[in-house]
Amino acid sequence: MSSGGSDLDKAIAQLRACRPIPENQVREVCYKARELLIEEGNVVTVDAPVTICGDIHGQFHDLMELFRVGGDVPDTNYLFMGDFVDRGFYSLESFLLLLCLKVRYPDRITLIRGNHESRQITTVYGFYDECLRKYGSANVWRHCCEVFDYLALGALVIGASTTLTPTDGPPAPTNTTQLAPLDSEIEIETLNAANEIMYRYARDSSQASNSQQPSTQSPSASSPTIPTPSNIGPAGTSATSSSSGSPGTPGGAILCVHGGLSPLIDTIDKIRLLDRKQEVPHEGAMCDLLWSDPDEIDGWGLSPRGAGFLFGADIVKCFNYKNDLSLIARAHQLVMEGFKEMFESSIVTVWSAPNYCYRCGNVAAILELEEDGSNAGFVRRSNGERGAGAGGWILGSNVGPNTSNRHSSPGAGNGNGNGNANRLGALTDSVPQRRRDGPGRRYRVFEAAPQDSRGMPAKKPVADYFL
Amino acid sequence: MALVSAPANDRKRVKVYELKNNDWFDRGTGFCKGIVVNQEEAKILVASEDDPTRQLLETKISKDDGYQKQQDTLIVWTEQNGTDMALSFQEPEGCAGIWDFVNEVQSRLQALAQDDGLSDDIGDNVSPIILPLPDLSNLPEIENHMRAANSTPGGREALTKFILAQDYIPKLLPLVDMAEDLESASDLHRLCSIMKMLILLNDTAIIEYVVTDEVILGVVGALEYDPDFPLHKANHRQYLSDESKFKEVVKIEDQSIRKRIHYTYRLQYLKDVVLARILDDPTFGVLNSLIYFHQVDIVQHLQANAAFLKELFGIFSPKEPNLQRKKDAVLFIQQCCAIAKSLQANARAQLYQNFINNGLLDVIHYALKHQDASVRVAGTDILVALIDHDALMVRSYIFKAIQEKSKPLTDTLIELLLIEVDLGVKAQMADAIKILLDPNANSASIEALGRTNNDFLAKVRGSLPSMPQTDSFIQNFYDESARKLFQPLKDLEGRPSMNDLSIQEVSLFSHLVEVLCFFIRQHSYRSKYFILSENLAARVAQLMECPEKHLKLTALKYFRTCIGLHDEFHNRQITQHNLFEPILKILFDTMPRDNLLNSACLELFEFIRRENIKPIVTHLVQNYREKLQAIIYVDTFQTLILRYDQMHEPPTTQELENSFTSVESDTPARNGGIVNGGKWGQGLKEADAEEEAYFNGSDDEDDGLPNAVKPVLNGTSPARPLVNYPDEDGDDDMDILATSAPSISPQTMSTATQTQETPTTSPTSKVNALIPPERISEKRRREDDEEDELLANLSNSGTKRRASTSSNANSGSLRGLRRKNSIASTKDGGGGPKKISLSIPLKSGGEGGEDD
Ligand SMILES: [Mn+2]
Repeated sequence: MSSGGSDLDKAIAQLRACRPIPENQVREVCYKARELLIEEGNVVTVDAPVTICGDIHGQFHDLMELFRVGGDVPDTNYLFMGDFVDRGFYSLESFLLLLCLKVRYPDRITLIRGNHESRQITTVYGFYDECLRKYGSANVWRHCCEVFDYLALGALVIGASTTLTPTDGPPAPTNTTQLAPLDSEIEIETLNAANEIMYRYARDSSQASNSQQPSTQSPSASSPTIPTPSNIGPAGTSATSSSSGSPGTPGGAILCVHGGLSPLIDTIDKIRLLDRKQEVPHEGAMCDLLWSDPDEIDGWGLSPRGAGFLFGADIVKCFNYKNDLSLIARAHQLVMEGFKEMFESSIVTVWSAPNYCYRCGNVAAILELEEDGSNAGFVRRSNGERGAGAGGWILGSNVGPNTSNRHSSPGAGNGNGNGNANRLGALTDSVPQRRRDGPGRRYRVFEAAPQDSRGMPAKKPVADYFL
Repeated sequence: MALVSAPANDRKRVKVYELKNNDWFDRGTGFCKGIVVNQEEAKILVASEDDPTRQLLETKISKDDGYQKQQDTLIVWTEQNGTDMALSFQEPEGCAGIWDFVNEVQSRLQALAQDDGLSDDIGDNVSPIILPLPDLSNLPEIENHMRAANSTPGGREALTKFILAQDYIPKLLPLVDMAEDLESASDLHRLCSIMKMLILLNDTAIIEYVVTDEVILGVVGALEYDPDFPLHKANHRQYLSDESKFKEVVKIEDQSIRKRIHYTYRLQYLKDVVLARILDDPTFGVLNSLIYFHQVDIVQHLQANAAFLKELFGIFSPKEPNLQRKKDAVLFIQQCCAIAKSLQANARAQLYQNFINNGLLDVIHYALKHQDASVRVAGTDILVALIDHDALMVRSYIFKAIQEKSKPLTDTLIELLLIEVDLGVKAQMADAIKILLDPNANSASIEALGRTNNDFLAKVRGSLPSMPQTDSFIQNFYDESARKLFQPLKDLEGRPSMNDLSIQEVSLFSHLVEVLCFFIRQHSYRSKYFILSENLAARVAQLMECPEKHLKLTALKYFRTCIGLHDEFHNRQITQHNLFEPILKILFDTMPRDNLLNSACLELFEFIRRENIKPIVTHLVQNYREKLQAIIYVDTFQTLILRYDQMHEPPTTQELENSFTSVESDTPARNGGIVNGGKWGQGLKEADAEEEAYFNGSDDEDDGLPNAVKPVLNGTSPARPLVNYPDEDGDDDMDILATSAPSISPQTMSTATQTQETPTTSPTSKVNALIPPERISEKRRREDDEEDELLANLSNSGTKRRASTSSNANSGSLRGLRRKNSIASTKDGGGGPKKISLSIPLKSGGEGGEDD
């Protein structure tokens, strides 16, 4: 694989046919991936346009279907939010293909870690056994687990447009609602695998006044002052609920993470202070990011999973506000419709394993974010760039307006003397007191790959046997 | 059933377990009740506590015995389908209630059964299915019939009965040859579909039947013509009839065992090749368990067969000329040991004992030195399995070798780790060394065995050479072997450049440093002396100069591990030798880029700052003040300097409190490891312990445990200590929360800017700080009142600061927050993975169903 891309391309072709590559090639790909991943931040910055994907879980043929529906690499930029392995029968081929694509097109595909990218979990839920069966030893599993430790914990999508360019496609036969007119500001589109439009929603401009006067809003989503989203939105969305702004305003960034938030992490910058190169711990910030779930509760709650937490709408809104995010995209939970927006579209679950475990009957989805033409206001902060412009995503600058003093002890109310106060003070003025517009969101929904596209069985039979 | 009344319907909290692969699998926690369905039927139901609409368990009480009550809170039984189940009750009373119910139902059912002998056939009212005698002309009819029957559970059952009763499969098979002769693709495709349906009926008897010698080739022959791939024909028959695939290292005389070996192989082939694409989960499960049971029987038979073992291990004597046969024998033994992992503990102990008596350790020595990497892999596999099974035993054998002046296994492992070229084997060797020297890895399985079978344990132990203490084994390692192991690291001294490390060296050094990290955590006293005498810390620091970033990272991890130990000795080593020099160099080289190395550095300094490790803070600021001052892209370093200044001046300033991540703690034990795991949620920790206590059958009152069904915390964060002790840093705890997360409503958001300027936080903090420790039950009772008080207090500020009030009120209910299950921890990277009884309660069914 040393000679440029050709060996790698061969490996990719072989994996696309769902055939495992030899152990020494796995090792080389893993080493190369490690070199790339070590350069990535714990939260890697990704420019829109990008297509965000949720759990794959070894459903190789459905991953192929995903690429068919969403466009192939490198034509489409992808961000996979973890849980590549376990449960499905082709964890190895799925993960190695994604990893080879990462090595081949590092700027086109981003992989972040899910809770299944862990030695302990893969030992129980299938990936370990699969490697053992396909290679006869655990070496390949070890190589993969080593890579898991290097995967980023999250991604921050910047430069996403707040409105979509309407898709030029026919309405889906199932569509029963009025599609938003093409000249409106499209906030949400949902397409099926045939590129037919299932739903199209314009940004609700009547909300503009609300968003300017947040004090009239109630903390509760069911408040009468906010249109109840659930009964007008398409399946999976709470469409129409997000606030709006003047055209052309750049939206906030989108945080992508496998599970969710952590009570120990109030700013994205704090994620940077983690040493991620380790097995996923059983508790702590890193664990929470990979294990938590949003839930209809206030504040934080105990997760029935035994790791991570449940977090409510208030937590999400506060976090988004403070970090100037317009949306959190996460995976980790099966949703029958493939995606589910919650908490007035402040967080979305994206699930990309159709008919999960080959029996759940769910559809899958991917989330496309378009590039904002004007692309103002955000400056890339990652990978080697020093400094950034005002309002850019440099470390420390995207703290909310009120973090430093909120919990200061008596007598220290007017924080002074260490420079932070000035910086924060300045920012206080520049952060508008309203929610960021969510990005325009195009969901592509797809079903499990049909049987006939699955190809001949490719498992290498056990060669010799003694027992 | 008139005599039996359902037990009082109070809610009995219970955990449901299922035995899978010898591990009790946690199916969740819920509430248990017994119900009477009708005269002949009564059930035990457990509804999930998270989702009361979901049944964790629904089992019909059978009239046969087989229910056992153990230890006051446990009921164990075997389901009709052979699954072993257990209910673990929170309260002995709950257990007793259900137990009485079961007994009453059983005696009632037994009485009924004597009344009329027919009760066995209850539920057998499925209308039978009859298929015509198959020939090529009626295949479409047969296929349609089957498809229709296949769509209902009753139909499937009837179909299964018919197929078995009428010996239907052998009648189908001749048609494959006929259709092939006629080159009738459509008939062949139909036969394939029919065969797939038959197998996917998922009936154990059918699946066992199709792999028998008489029909297997016919069955896979039919499966070669998959209608989904009309252009392909598989070659299953050719593959399965190739006898050469079966390596009979030693002739197996017992015909039934030979047969089972073939069956197992065919089942595996069906699972992995023929049906791989279409298998549903239940069939996958049936195939797996059939394979498992066959393998267990085979291994059990072989390990007890003295003649067989003698011949098997005899292959390794110098008299055997055939090298291929030796290699095959190693692979054979490896397979046996792999299967042994899933044997019951005493069966496994028996197997290893028999193997060892026949010379297993010599085989391991032989395999580890084999020129073929695959044999070395097998050798380490066997060794790791053996250590996992009983580390004490392996150590005692090594001890014996030392006494007899023969080369101990440890030395072999060390030599191999140093020279091994296969990077996979190298990693395995490093792991094996770690487990061997893990003082905690004694013999979990033997201990478990001891609980169930003390006589047996005594017998096994009695046959061993004298059992040295783990401690002296480790001592011996440091006396004799450690130097050899770490020699390459020591040899780095004086090496002019780190730019020319070979791939082998890079890999070796990262293993050595990882092993060293493991040692300093596990053998604190001995490793310290060793590291001091060999000056290894400086050598590890040297590795940070190499260009390979992952090795830098590994070296950095060593220092992070040292500092995390809060050990004066390690801290002194680092400061005296100026080992922060290379760490700071990495920091400066990488900053302010956002990458893994940089984050790892920041985490290290964050930890020092957070834990306020004074000697290190002092060292850093005294030596690198200017350098640190220049790092402003995070405030970690400014805070470090402030800490130092505070240490050396009376603390007149409160500036520290304003830093953006300020989590102040002078007592490391209190807030340790906040960000990166470790000891962060004090409240949770405590709850954890309580939870364990509960499941250990503690009688202590569990206030509000049932309320923990879905604890909802309005407040800021569960990471807060339960009670805010009245000390000067009263509000630190809030800072831990990462400031954030007060449940801010839009109003508070809008006013946040103003409120935070005003010192309205102080009343809250003060109130917080003044609440003395108190019993939670009392606290909960008073919650409402308190909230009112607080609201009153805060009304001065003119804003409804819901966030603060609710967060305060919740410091009480946090107590109800319990981690119901924590992931079982395993040894650090130790050895091959083990099946741990993970209890991550994944919701099943419904939308949350398969999520993870
Ligand atoms: Mn997950």
